[in-house]
Amino acid sequence: MRTTDARRPPAEPELRHHALIYDSDEAFLAATTGFCLDGLAGGDRVLVVTGEANIGLLTGSLGPAAADVEFVTTRKWYGTPGRTLAAYARYVDTHREHHPRVRVVGEPLWEGRSPAEEAEWTRYESVINAAFAGSPAWIICPYDERVLPERVVADARRTHPGLLSGSIERTSDAYTDPAAFMHAADHLPLPSPPAGAVTEIRFDADLRRMRRQVGARAVALGLPEEQIGRLLLAVHEVAANAVQHGGGHGRIRLWADRDGVGCDVIAPGRIHTPLVGYLPPDSGAAHGHGLWVVRQLCDLLEIRSGPRGTQVRLRLTRT
Amino acid sequence: MRQVKDVQLGDHLCLAFAHEAEQREVACAFVVAGLARGERVLCLTDGPGVDRVGRWLREAGVDVTAATADGQLGVRAAEDSYLAGDRFDPDAMIAALRSEADASLRAGFTGFRVSGEMSWALREVAGAGRLEEYERRVTALFDEGMSAAICQYDTRVFPAERLRALIGCHPERVQPDALLQDGPLRITPGVDPGGQPVLRVSGMIDRSTTTAWSTALRTVTGGQGDVRIDMSELEFIDVAGLRTLADAAAALPAGRCLHVLQLAPALREVIRMVGWDRTRGLVIEGR
Repeated sequence: MRTTDARRPPAEPELRHHALIYDSDEAFLAATTGFCLDGLAGGDRVLVVTGEANIGLLTGSLGPAAADVEFVTTRKWYGTPGRTLAAYARYVDTHREHHPRVRVVGEPLWEGRSPAEEAEWTRYESVINAAFAGSPAWIICPYDERVLPERVVADARRTHPGLLSGSIERTSDAYTDPAAFMHAADHLPLPSPPAGAVTEIRFDADLRRMRRQVGARAVALGLPEEQIGRLLLAVHEVAANAVQHGGGHGRIRLWADRDGVGCDVIAPGRIHTPLVGYLPPDSGAAHGHGLWVVRQLCDLLEIRSGPRGTQVRLRLTRT
Repeated sequence: MRQVKDVQLGDHLCLAFAHEAEQREVACAFVVAGLARGERVLCLTDGPGVDRVGRWLREAGVDVTAATADGQLGVRAAEDSYLAGDRFDPDAMIAALRSEADASLRAGFTGFRVSGEMSWALREVAGAGRLEEYERRVTALFDEGMSAAICQYDTRVFPAERLRALIGCHPERVQPDALLQDGPLRITPGVDPGGQPVLRVSGMIDRSTTTAWSTALRTVTGGQGDVRIDMSELEFIDVAGLRTLADAAAALPAGRCLHVLQLAPALREVIRMVGWDRTRGLVIEGR
């Protein structure tokens, strides 16, 4: 005879991804407290990534149960979109074996982001829906209306299929499928690199020569050795894709600015795959790991691809 | 990095070895090739046992007795060469080598080779601190093109920093002959300090060398037991090259492992990014 444990409902393999748009501490706690407690009661793994103030509030609200919740500060968790996505993927992978579901309260960091970073973090929120489709994860992303620009909150309604208020869930009418998601900035060309400071390097199938030239230039720009290693691998992977799929040649533009180095890889050929490099690859697959790695090697990766070719912009900080 | 088969008159090379087996292979190949070319060969030894090098050469097929009787082969202890006069004197040593080289040519030999063991420099010997000076200056003698030398340094006993300096005093390094050389990729068999066989990978692995890399891995994993690959001399490997490594480990039967030694931290990180660190049979040992 089969029995059902009422306290442990069968895990839903489907991802649930909600935006929690809140305008008070009470509203934050009303949604997150029950979410954590329900999860713990059901044997779920519970991770909370938010600001220190919210961690304090939620710890108080949870009482002794807080000890069973993993807390990480926003600043520590939301480093770069590629690395954060990979960290979530690894987290879910690690804990799904022992828990019916992984519950996450994940409040992204928006303060101090450049327009390019804001666009990529918004895309990251959208990509979550594709990257974790079919994963036993329930992710709630708090958006603090009191401090966030209206455009960020508006995009949250487009990047989350569900909206949460207290314990009430509803569908977001503005939700857009990740493969079709466009950020407002996507329609604009990437800003030009600083005039006069750009080195241009042409490349073909001889990627060794390209790496030597990029490496020499990166040394001249004062990039530390470890970052040069990351840059060379990242540029190599993007250029290798261009050589293999995009006409066999292209050009690289490399420059330094206050924060680090920027590098464009520009080549004929169009990328038709949506969300390229954003979906955790199967480690046993025969290909498709290159751009997943590149997204993690770089601090920011921007792609513009159209009928006239593809421009991939990599950014690396100095350290 | 020169392979020992490519050594020629004019070379002054440094061998930094991690185990006697590796030293023996290079030294024997160097001596055998010299004898075969009609050159005169001098082995300056500083290891345990009086006849150690003689035995190596006999086991390598050299008729030591005949070669010695002909004056083509000489084996001398460090005390009777580097340290003649109970001290190390670079001027005297360089002068002695020059005179040996001249004498070799006068006697009708086609050149002169020196195989030198250098561990005596770590003993309390007067002048031992001038070894770097000697190594730098003696290059000029070999540059004349009538002689060649391989100076052999044991990485297990020379302090890392001094070893780096001494290597830097030689125009080039030498290593055993490669198992595989494909453009910028070279795979060389060696022996690690623990006496275990290891494959040293140097150069670059990218799309231009992936096929050779994959074939080499299939070959070395086709035998028995664990496989150990030292990546310390690797300049570049791309994501496809790392995938090939993970695939080779995954293809091993249960119980056998592919050990990757001395992998740069950034590459270790890349392996983790993709999840290849969870590959059964792949053991990553960092720097």
